[in-house]
Amino acid sequence: MAKILKPTQTDKCNGCELCLLESQRQLKKVGLEEALIRIFKKKRDDNQKLEMQIEIDPRINMLHVEKISKICPKDVFEVENHEEIEGKNEE
Amino acid sequence: MIDFLAKKVLTIDLNKKEADLKSFADLNKYLGGVALGIKLHEMYSDLNPVVLAIGPLNGFFPFASKTAVVLNDGGVIEDIYIGGSLSLRMRFAGVDAIAIFGRSDQPTVLDICNAKVDFLGEETSTDSLGLPGKRSAINFENNKILLDDYFTTPESFLEKIFTEKNIKGVVITGTEIDKPLNFDEYEKLYNEILSKKDELRVDMGIYPSCSNCPMGCGKSKIGEIGGNVLINSLVACQFADKIYTDIGVVFSCLNTLGYSYTHEDIENLPKLIEETIRRIS
Repeated sequence: MAKILKPTQTDKCNGCELCLLESQRQLKKVGLEEALIRIFKKKRDDNQKLEMQIEIDPRINMLHVEKISKICPKDVFEVENHEEIEGKNEE
Repeated sequence: MIDFLAKKVLTIDLNKKEADLKSFADLNKYLGGVALGIKLHEMYSDLNPVVLAIGPLNGFFPFASKTAVVLNDGGVIEDIYIGGSLSLRMRFAGVDAIAIFGRSDQPTVLDICNAKVDFLGEETSTDSLGLPGKRSAINFENNKILLDDYFTTPESFLEKIFTEKNIKGVVITGTEIDKPLNFDEYEKLYNEILSKKDELRVDMGIYPSCSNCPMGCGKSKIGEIGGNVLINSLVACQFADKIYTDIGVVFSCLNTLGYSYTHEDIENLPKLIEETIRRIS
């Protein structure tokens, strides 16, 4: 059953990039180039925090996405299986 | 790619607007961070450098997430530490240290991508530079330097020397990829160290985190000053000292990546730093 990685609580992301680095390790590399997850940090007006944007390449779903979801310290991701998504669409 | 036999130093001459990536095999014994930074100060003492230096584990292992800034403040060598994403970007830019010399005649923004450096005017917004998701940006805001729009350093040493050198901003992008030879062993060790997060002397917080650190603690914003020589040469977080003062852990990390440091190299590090400081003084 296909698993789909979705960032459902981006507002909780702290920008640690552990998810990005985990996805790269699954591809047997360390670094940022050609990463299937990218974290963009934007300044917020209050300067106390940053606003994170998470961009995911759909090819990420070929990897062990549960492991990527689990490494996130802030539970930003959910893993949906393909059947669930089809079921939702039918509803 | 990591050079296990030499330290790679990107030298940037603001007077001449020139940059050069140099490889120093004889600097390998300085490990990284504060030790490497102080040695570079000795080598380039006439040029009043400000040195940004990382250690051998930055980019590869959790909690090795700081960057050492070594500078001369009125005749005193100061070492301060900044968090954020800078050390990871420097690692994947392929440099162990960046040494910035001289003074620019015009306010300058440095755009660094791996070993390539562009010298741009102050009108250039750092937001427009580098590759999104692979860059770190250092800017002035209200006379304070901010990295990634959030992280700062203790005191005002960095602000003072950037002002002296006429540097208005720096963007660093890293696009290199590394593949540790024994990848399975590396991955196992990475996860073991990450699982030790309860050994850190900070609590999990709700703040922006340094790259490769899950904590999001309230301490990361202000950076660090002083501390343990080994931690500061590895440029790990001082709150991860329980992990990175364990010589067994440090050697496992170094060996897994392919470095061939010996116990003597690590034991001699404080003496090496002390002697170098004495020569500079």
